[in-house]
Amino acid sequence: MPSIRYNDMQFSVEPSGDRWDITYQLPSGASALAGAGIFPGLPEAEAASRALALIKTIFPVGVKSVGPDVNHPNRIGDLKLVGPDVTHPNFIYWDKDSVSSPKTL
Amino acid sequence: MEIKGSVALVTGGGNGIGEAVVKHLAKAGAKVAVVDMVQKNIDRVVKDIKAMGGEAVGIQANVTSEADTARYIKGTLEAFGQLNIAVSCAGIIRDGTMLSLDKETGKVSKKLGLDKWQAVIDTNLTGTFLTMRDAAEAMVNGGWPGLLVPISSVNKVGQVGQINYSSAKVADALMPKIIVGEFLMRGIRNIRCVAIAPGYTATPMLTGMNQDALKAILEDVHLGRLVAPEEIASLISYCVENEALNATTIEITGGLCYPRGIAK
Repeated sequence: MPSIRYNDMQFSVEPSGDRWDITYQLPSGASALAGAGIFPGLPEAEAASRALALIKTIFPVGVKSVGPDVNHPNRIGDLKLVGPDVTHPNFIYWDKDSVSSPKTL
Repeated sequence: MEIKGSVALVTGGGNGIGEAVVKHLAKAGAKVAVVDMVQKNIDRVVKDIKAMGGEAVGIQANVTSEADTARYIKGTLEAFGQLNIAVSCAGIIRDGTMLSLDKETGKVSKKLGLDKWQAVIDTNLTGTFLTMRDAAEAMVNGGWPGLLVPISSVNKVGQVGQINYSSAKVADALMPKIIVGEFLMRGIRNIRCVAIAPGYTATPMLTGMNQDALKAILEDVHLGRLVAPEEIASLISYCVENEALNATTIEITGGLCYPRGIAK
């Protein structure tokens, strides 16, 4: 059962018959599915390699700040917050170098 | 085009019509990408497909984002190596009349907010455009046979209280004519486009509504009940298999009529 740590996220590639499931942990600790019943017939090493390629595509590394979005402020009571919307699906929170993608500057 | 062995991507695949479509196609042998905003819905649908013996990937994404669209198209190709069917089911409603009047003064007391307009246009029109555009790009570059399926609505005829939704859905209904015309112009012969315009459908949004209001809606439906999501999924499967269906929008309403029996 290959385990993959990528972009500070933990993924697991688990066999399911002759196929593979990819699960990962949400920040809440709950488990989520990135794929199920995929890569039929592939051996473990090849499935792990394909899974890593898929994971890198679905969860790209990088910082994309959204905002300031003055048209869609977050509101807390009367207070309008117009900074980057960290709850926006395009916002990737990244506060440290990833082990799997070290800084190359 | 055969469904078995093909690869389908369905936005809004985590519930309602999208869930029915993705499961129907998986049951018929397609490999599927379930795209949705809600991870727990993705997990449920992907698990169900696995239990059916199918292959599925789940990608949490926002269809209004160009970056997300590129990500789920690329993710589908990464997982399955090709793309043949793209169904744009993701949609929202934010109903309200354009103007509301004060009962006493007769003056305008409220306008439909730009937020309600923009959110619906972004999801139901721009989101559909982005998915159709990038799916078509992948199909053309890959040389695979394909079908693009924008989801319109019977309310494309113009529904009061839905200027945002109806405007988006009438535009979605126009897409097949324009897209296929452009494909012909560019010599692209391997991809078709058929839009589906459902009537009132038994999704959680409608079955959970006020039951008296629902009963009033059904009085105008010749079939006497809501359309089942599985019936729409079945129609989309038929569109995949019947290559003569192209450049058109098909209504599936159960016979929705205006009051006094004029079919919409």
